[in-house]
Amino acid sequence: MGKGYLCFVLHAHLPFVRHPEDENFLEERWLYEAITETYIPLIDAFDELVEENIPFRLTISLSPPLITMLTDGLLQERYLRHLNKLIELAEKETVRTRDTVFHPTAVMYRDRLYRIRYLFAEKYHRNLVSAFKKLQDCGRLEVITCAGTHGFLPLLIHQPEAVRAQVGAAVDLYANHFGHKPLGLWLPECAYTYGVDNILKEFDIKYFFTDTHGVLYASHRPKYGIYAPIFCRTGVAVFGRDIESSKQVWSSNEGYPGDYDYREYYRDIGHDLEYGYIAPYIHPDGIRVNTGIKYFRVTGKDCEKQPYCRENALSKADIHAGNFLFNREHQIAHLNSLMDREPIIVAPYDAELFGHWWFEGPDWLKQVLRKAHYDFPGIETITPHDYLKKYPCNQVATPCPSTWGNNGYNEVWLCRENDWIYRHLHIMAEKMTELVDANTYPGGLKQRAIKQAARELLLAQSSDWAFIMYTGTMVEYAIRRTKQHVQNFLRLYDQIKNNNIDEGFLGHLEYRNNIFPDININYYQSAPGQVYSATG
Amino acid sequence: MIVSFTWVLVGALILALLTIFLWSARNKQKKPVPRHVPIAAREEYAEELAIPVIFPPQPAAKPEMPVIPWNYGKDRITLMVRDPNWIFAYWEISAAKQQEFSNQYGHNAWNNSRSVLRVYDVTGVEDFNGTNANDFTDISIHEHVDSWHIDVARPNSSFCVDLGRLFPDGTFITLLRSNIVKTPSMDVSNLFDEEWMWIEGIYRTLNQMYLGSSPAVSKEFGRDMGLIPVNVSSPGLGNRKN
Repeated sequence: MGKGYLCFVLHAHLPFVRHPEDENFLEERWLYEAITETYIPLIDAFDELVEENIPFRLTISLSPPLITMLTDGLLQERYLRHLNKLIELAEKETVRTRDTVFHPTAVMYRDRLYRIRYLFAEKYHRNLVSAFKKLQDCGRLEVITCAGTHGFLPLLIHQPEAVRAQVGAAVDLYANHFGHKPLGLWLPECAYTYGVDNILKEFDIKYFFTDTHGVLYASHRPKYGIYAPIFCRTGVAVFGRDIESSKQVWSSNEGYPGDYDYREYYRDIGHDLEYGYIAPYIHPDGIRVNTGIKYFRVTGKDCEKQPYCRENALSKADIHAGNFLFNREHQIAHLNSLMDREPIIVAPYDAELFGHWWFEGPDWLKQVLRKAHYDFPGIETITPHDYLKKYPCNQVATPCPSTWGNNGYNEVWLCRENDWIYRHLHIMAEKMTELVDANTYPGGLKQRAIKQAARELLLAQSSDWAFIMYTGTMVEYAIRRTKQHVQNFLRLYDQIKNNNIDEGFLGHLEYRNNIFPDININYYQSAPGQVYSATG
Repeated sequence: MIVSFTWVLVGALILALLTIFLWSARNKQKKPVPRHVPIAAREEYAEELAIPVIFPPQPAAKPEMPVIPWNYGKDRITLMVRDPNWIFAYWEISAAKQQEFSNQYGHNAWNNSRSVLRVYDVTGVEDFNGTNANDFTDISIHEHVDSWHIDVARPNSSFCVDLGRLFPDGTFITLLRSNIVKTPSMDVSNLFDEEWMWIEGIYRTLNQMYLGSSPAVSKEFGRDMGLIPVNVSSPGLGNRKN
């Protein structure tokens, strides 16, 4: 029986939610929850496999805002404080639930949180990026990154300088942390359009991913569909997302995460318990938030939720891991009957799906990687770069502009709720290029101001704000962040133009929005004749 | 006596209404609303522990929303792609531009003409100059509107948009011309020729190989087209960032 390759890709990203001005900023909890529920459990799972000598390969994309936040001293300190609070709550829970059916779960949470604190504070010395780096250095992970602040590139590309800065800032930040340039780049929201690959090429990026139709609808028609990469004319490779393996994990209806034995996401004691009891562990303003302690399982639709049973959930994760590989084995056998080379099945997911949303996700993934090694000789895990080394000759085709958002194109990031942001983002990019062109070798204060203007522009471009406006939850925060960065940028622009830079204001912004400390503003230099043709 | 009693009654009624109003307003401030009301858990735990009820404090007042300009005093129109069927344009016309128009066509010209978006199909057109489009459609635009979602319903096609003034005699004067965009495809390509690229070590292009096409395999994949989910978003999409 022929062999095939399974290419897992996890994309880890959170918007830059560092708020030094407020000790209890609500949105900072997104980071804390993701560290506790996703990043540390994933690292722990990978470490376990390394100790077992299982030669798995997996690609993970860490976005620059996430890398910045995970290595930020203030946020590390705050996370530890948050975690200690959570441990205190978990201890109380073991007392409160004594002699109830919930007690074993409460004990599980308490033990788990102690372990997470040990891993975070002692094993990894608070730096999770170095934990990922270690896994890359020992040959298990291929760590890549995504565009600067997760900017939605297709709606910025008519100003190539803006996209160049998004990509360049990310590549530089990655190189600072990992010691070399990234091999691949995750396009934020899997969003590709004509011209994006030209800029990736400038930075020596070897590959990126698109959604299924990005490759399937490419022109000319790809011979192997999505089961082999294609080359853009620039020579950058494109890997298309596999539909079947995606659906099994992603789909809220038929996917594994909806199984009745798995933990229910929406029943959190932060919302469920009496205010007086839970108050010290939610937001000080009384806003109820998730604590991560949840006692129920999915149970079923429209029925009373039943208590969570960890053993049942883990054995289900084990069954699902076997099922996933069984299906891949059949898929590969079928593909081998059609193809004259070994197929690659590309399975990309949001990293935060694992653990945060699907609590048992990291256990499932660990079991898949373990079983693939022991029980499925026809399946080998691989990274895109390894596959390209194996198959350096690929079909040339132009990918179809696409995203992995609702309906597959740009409607999530360009709809009536958020279309107003682009008139600001575009003029900012234009003004940014004007500033850089007019100040070839700025010094001192002016250089600092131009760099900060670039940071404000990049932060305003984060696709998360448009996404949140589209979904309709936490909208005010997204609008505020967008407007705040626009306002900061415009003030800096005026001050630079008028040569009256307010150092106090500048210093304040440098302290607050400290992403990309070494940003190279030359990426914004105008490059005439580089407008990418959209006439096809 | 009766009159004053009526007044008391009316006063009480107003007070009651006010209380209800304030109460509901206060409830509205509690954010975020949990998606599922956790009745079972609340009953179970609350009775066991009998903790005195404490009301949450009022959320602290948020700082004012930053104020940013809407217009930047720059003449511009930008065209963007939303999906295979829709494109979007936004624009800005400065007072100077309007003045320039009046100077050139007479001071009544602005009022005698109406604002129109002219959407050109420029698929396959090289160096579009305003007269060599495949075809165009006019959309009447209200004077104060400065963006438009355009239903072109043409995948895999290129477009350019002019914002201009249309006179009753049919004369169209362009004020602003957009960039050109191309809508994505909604289907597999009908082009079967294959071109292959060999990249050594990896990605220095050495040569390009042209091989014969293999329709058998392509058809096999074509058959799977029905599997493409229309909704490709992730299940956690609406929740993952909460």
